[in-house]
Amino acid sequence: MCLGRWTAAASARVEDSFMEHAAAATVSSVARASWSAHGVSHTVFTIDGMRCAACSRAVTKAVSALAGVERISVNVATARAAVDWDPHEVALKKILDAVTETGFKPLPLAGEAAVSVQRAEHRLALKRIGLAGLGMMQTMMFVYCIFAAGGHGIDPGIAQYLKLAGLLIATPVLVYSGAPFFSGALRDLRRRAPGMDVPVALALLIAYAASVVNTFRGAGEIYFDSVTMFIFFLLAGRFVEMSVRQRNLSATEALARSLPATVARIAKDGSTKRVDLGSIEKGDLLSIAKGAVIPVDALLASGEAVVDESLLTGESVSVTKQLDQQLLGGSINAGHPIRVIAMGCASQSMLASIVGLLERTQAERPSIVRTVDGVASWFVLLTLTLATAAGVFWFFAEPARALPAALAVLVVTCPCALSLATPAAMAAATARLARLGLLVTRPDALERLARVDVVVVDKTGTVTRGMPVVELQDIRQGYPGPLAFQIAAALESASDHPIALAFRKHASRAREASALKEFAGRGVEGCIDGALWRLGTCHFVKELLQAPGVDLSGLSNDPGTGIALGNSEGIVATFALTDGLRPGALRAVEQLRGMGLKVAIASGDQQEVVDEVARQLGVQEAVGRLTPQAKLSLVQQCESAGTRVLMVGDGINDGPVLAAASVSCAMAQGSAVAQAAADLLLLNDSLGTLAEAIYTARQMRAVIRQNLAWALVYNLGAVPLAALGWIAPWVAAIGMSTSSLLVVLNAARLARPPGASQ
Amino acid sequence: MNIVFLLIPLGMGLLAAAVVALFWAVNSGQYDDLEDAGRAVLDPEDGQPPSELRVERKQG
Repeated sequence: MCLGRWTAAASARVEDSFMEHAAAATVSSVARASWSAHGVSHTVFTIDGMRCAACSRAVTKAVSALAGVERISVNVATARAAVDWDPHEVALKKILDAVTETGFKPLPLAGEAAVSVQRAEHRLALKRIGLAGLGMMQTMMFVYCIFAAGGHGIDPGIAQYLKLAGLLIATPVLVYSGAPFFSGALRDLRRRAPGMDVPVALALLIAYAASVVNTFRGAGEIYFDSVTMFIFFLLAGRFVEMSVRQRNLSATEALARSLPATVARIAKDGSTKRVDLGSIEKGDLLSIAKGAVIPVDALLASGEAVVDESLLTGESVSVTKQLDQQLLGGSINAGHPIRVIAMGCASQSMLASIVGLLERTQAERPSIVRTVDGVASWFVLLTLTLATAAGVFWFFAEPARALPAALAVLVVTCPCALSLATPAAMAAATARLARLGLLVTRPDALERLARVDVVVVDKTGTVTRGMPVVELQDIRQGYPGPLAFQIAAALESASDHPIALAFRKHASRAREASALKEFAGRGVEGCIDGALWRLGTCHFVKELLQAPGVDLSGLSNDPGTGIALGNSEGIVATFALTDGLRPGALRAVEQLRGMGLKVAIASGDQQEVVDEVARQLGVQEAVGRLTPQAKLSLVQQCESAGTRVLMVGDGINDGPVLAAASVSCAMAQGSAVAQAAADLLLLNDSLGTLAEAIYTARQMRAVIRQNLAWALVYNLGAVPLAALGWIAPWVAAIGMSTSSLLVVLNAARLARPPGASQ
Repeated sequence: MNIVFLLIPLGMGLLAAAVVALFWAVNSGQYDDLEDAGRAVLDPEDGQPPSELRVERKQG
């Protein structure tokens, strides 16, 4: 029995009014949550009433039958569907209509309509549980009186009176509180795909009908207490489970909700007016109060700002930003009130990209889930068969126990624990990683991440800051150091190579250089004060020597990886390039190694530089001078040898290499988030997050195993006991509710805030 | 034992009253948001502090 969305059958009132008034609104607001690429539109929406594998299969079948729909994936745990469709061939309304025809309700992801429907359903569920709970206590008292009196002889008149009172209470509970089970079962039957509600609805009907007959017959057992108890325990279980699941999901919602509805915009005349978030455009000047959320990606327009980017990057330390630096939408202004210039509208911000990616992941259904769902649907049929068999057996063996045994079998089975075991854990792990600043873009990636053996990092920009720093290594006797830097900076003034940027930082006073020429892979050349200078490899500079082989510099001939500066008289100075390690890189590597993983560096940089970084990190395997093709074949070699590789790259240029690895992780910043093609996106600079991610993925795998094991043990153990008549029907209801709750709560452990597990 | 015939309808009347009270409470939105209401008192933007507090702060 599946504890899916308890909201399954919102009252006809809510449903009808919503569908009538909001059908058009739904289409337009779902459309707003779509985006297009290469002629294919991608849409994510919530499906209400989603409870089990059978439900998602029905929707998938109906929608994929439409011409123009390229792909649909429906996730039961998150109740979300992701559709790729061709806008030239099919209208979005048709897709939503197809979903509606299967008996489910498509809802926009967020927005007023979804919120008000959700609130109505929340209230309805509370009332149903409340009525069932109160009714249960009362009927229990009546029925207990009859039981307690037992054979001692209760006045038949009073017994009859108590039974009628029980009937009077159980009827409204069954009709009002039990409605979700019946409408769910009806929908399943109409689709000829028995879902989780069928056995429960059947059990309720049989127990109630038998009790009514026995009441008026004046003989035999009555089960009004069981009816009310089933309903109460099952509803309460669904309610709690739903709350836990929504809490796990709330990472996305927290991100989306962190945006204010209105923003203070400063007009040209200096007046401030609050406007809708949606009306913000590129170039608008906005005023952000202390503690307020910066609504869009923006440039700082006033002085200095202290911002908290933890929602986006997982980095909890506030960052100081200078004038004209970029602020990320979704970060919080932790310092003084500031003014910013919007860099685009809200839907173009990094936050919007992140939310879009997360929603896509949560709508997708990984392959393991599909397998388990197939098993779960057979389970329902098996349950019905077993219940009949148990009933028939006891009817001939001991007729009084036939009904309780059949009821117990119907109610005690919990294929839901099976269906929920995996998706609940995945949703929780994804939510936790998002909070750490790591986005999972493909749901299968987490499972693969747990099995990784080797972490291969691309040196540039992943382990190091990607911003080289120049240091003076050696200089000709008596030559002024600052002058050497000035000449070097002048020579590099036209280049946009990272090294050139590093030199230019040193140039306090610029010198004029003319006839600048760049020699790829060797260096630059230019004229300063009438003399020809070169900056580059030692060999390249020495070509300038008037008399070959005569170096007047008096420097050692081997500057190593350094950069030489010289003129026709020889080398004047050599510079060393150091590329600082990212903060925490060393600790991250140690953590990864501590988890039994091998760390390797595969880089396109000079072997010496790579060796130096490897030495600092204590990494044994480091290969430099790799072309992208060589990196690709290296990863492919590892993979074909059976080692599973986690490739960490910058995500833009190393697409094929990332694709070849078991799992790929890109370090993405800003707008690059949307383009990076990797399984995981690291939003902060900390490699330590990766170690945490692998740890979480392994934990998730353990949780999934525990959940599946529990579901199997519970069902295999409980069903025979129930069939043998050893489990009372009401115990069965508690057992079933507890079982799926246990699975969801176990998964919720994964979503605990980072740090709590350490 | 005839008192039972009176007490049971009385008990059911109480039950009905409890159900009505619960439905009223739910419908009036008291269970819609159990978390934010508790946090609202800590919200600094929510209204002005009581006048006597403001006076004290000025003096301090």
